Amino acid sequence: MIEFSKSNVRYTYVHDQKYSSEVVDIHHIISRRSNAKYFFVYTTTLLVLACALYLYAYKEKSISLVYCSFLFDIFLVKSLLGNPIKKESVVIMPAFGVQLETHYVSGKVIRYFVPIDKILKPVLIECVTPVTCYWTLSLIIRGESEMVLVFKNLRPPVKILVHVWKALCAATGSNEETCAHAE
Amino acid sequence: MMMGDPQKHRILMVSDFFYPNFGGVENHIYYLSQCLLKLGHKVVVATHSYGNRSGVRYMTGGLKVYYVPWRPFVMQNTLPTFYGLLPIIRIILIRERITVVHGHQAFSTFCHEALMHARTMGYKVVFTDHSLYGFSDVGSIHMNKVLQFTLADVSQAICVSHTSKENTVLRSGLPPEKVFVVPNAVDTSIFKPAVNRPSGPEIVIVVISRLVYRKGVDLLVEVIPEVCRLHPNVRFIIGGDGPKRVRLEEMREKHSLQDRVEMLGAVQHVQVRSVLISGHIFLNSSLTEAFCIAILEAASCGLLTVSTRVGGVPEVLPDEMIVLAEPDPGDMVHAIQKAISILPKIDPQVMHNRMRELYNWHDVAKRTEIVYDRALKCSNQNLLERLSRYLFCGAWAGKLFCLVMIVGFLLWQLLELWQPEDDIEEVSDFSLPHNCDEDMLEENPVK
Repeated sequence: MIEFSKSNVRYTYVHDQKYSSEVVDIHHIISRRSNAKYFFVYTTTLLVLACALYLYAYKEKSISLVYCSFLFDIFLVKSLLGNPIKKESVVIMPAFGVQLETHYVSGKVIRYFVPIDKILKPVLIECVTPVTCYWTLSLIIRGESEMVLVFKNLRPPVKILVHVWKALCAATGSNEETCAHAE
Repeated sequence: MMMGDPQKHRILMVSDFFYPNFGGVENHIYYLSQCLLKLGHKVVVATHSYGNRSGVRYMTGGLKVYYVPWRPFVMQNTLPTFYGLLPIIRIILIRERITVVHGHQAFSTFCHEALMHARTMGYKVVFTDHSLYGFSDVGSIHMNKVLQFTLADVSQAICVSHTSKENTVLRSGLPPEKVFVVPNAVDTSIFKPAVNRPSGPEIVIVVISRLVYRKGVDLLVEVIPEVCRLHPNVRFIIGGDGPKRVRLEEMREKHSLQDRVEMLGAVQHVQVRSVLISGHIFLNSSLTEAFCIAILEAASCGLLTVSTRVGGVPEVLPDEMIVLAEPDPGDMVHAIQKAISILPKIDPQVMHNRMRELYNWHDVAKRTEIVYDRALKCSNQNLLERLSRYLFCGAWAGKLFCLVMIVGFLLWQLLELWQPEDDIEEVSDFSLPHNCDEDMLEENPVK
């Protein structure tokens, strides 16, 4: 188990070794948002509601302002806090394929299965956006032009991704040292 | 002074102009980066995205290129947003553990912004100017003001010729001691003379350039018919395309020179050598030129050059390899006549060997390395000391520049709080083993 902490998210990597790794190999990445973001969002919503109530009570504005601010608060909470992720898992079964799971705090689980012969190679690539650059772990799928992201919502640091990548390479039979080695 | 291993730098090249475009600045950045990699430094290039090409790519020798997904909006330049590039440039600088930022070309908004952000964050900055600019038209006045801003706080600057140094110093107000002159070079292993020189009574004159006003196409339109009239055995080959092509076509029609003047259209960079070696003389009629790599390529292929005496052109070739003329049709015709008369004495192989000694990219890289060493020795200054330099740029402009830098500094501090430096992971250096490409070719033989 490896713990890693970024500024506002704590990532915990757990390697489930209760089954033999030739049959099933499970990796979890558990994320826990820090309290600061919740505190900030809820304080802002309370402030907006308080301002609307003040304007209604003391400045004779209409009640619809209070309703609008309430709706705005709900929109703010939904968009900023969203559907928080509890953990993302990778279940590697070398005989069948790879199952990618996303577990939400609300209890919902989304699963995505990739058969083993469809996987050409697991790769670690750098993604560049207009404001940032980060590492992701992806699977190159035979016959498809798009790659499949292993961790769709979380952005764990590359030290954690390397362990999962090595396990995927071992399962799919890709040669880890094909072209590049880190100094 | 410490003796020991010379310091290895980690350089970030920034410009709007890079592969997959081909041109003087693009080739300069590519060749310089390759030679610096051979010297043991680490080089990373940052540029905007080209069509679908965005993200991280690796080129020969492990050259890492960041195609940042900011769209170009006019003439290959990224949309100038002042602070838009700050987050991504900061991340690239921290991940790659950069020590020196090297910007290219004054007419590149990406370069100016990246250099401004690098200075805000305290990195050492080097700027290379590749072109000459005017002083009097509206576009030039604004461009020079922007240049003054960027160069007010640069660690060192490089120009490609002494004329270019004079031009840059006058435009930007930079102290001349800070400006180094490092000329461009040419890849002499590609530009070799033909094994057998084109023989026969015909003399072939080659012109390869973009057909725009700056390259003196209007001069060509006057010169070519006159030369064809005076010398019946001269033929012209014109490669390149552009807005002025129409004028050359009209000239051909008017003087019935269809069999004496051949127009090739746009010539791919890989085909330039084969076009050059089909001729004896290379004609360059530019109205302004900071350096002119085209005449280096021609001389490397063993062609005698006739050129206008403008900008940095007189500094480029030794006197026996070039005939200079004023940018006037009559003078150019005289120069071509002189060139035709001395043509029998020219040996292409001797010319090529001389060029190989005079110009090579490894020499440029070593000289640039000296500039980097000097840049790193510059003192670290805090914000207040640097702001005082900007105040000298002008009555209103100085205060505006100071304001821009202060806002930039505040935004940087905000980013440091939002995403602290420790959270940004550094990238380890990969080295591609020599047999990597061979393995791949064995598995998938090219049919």
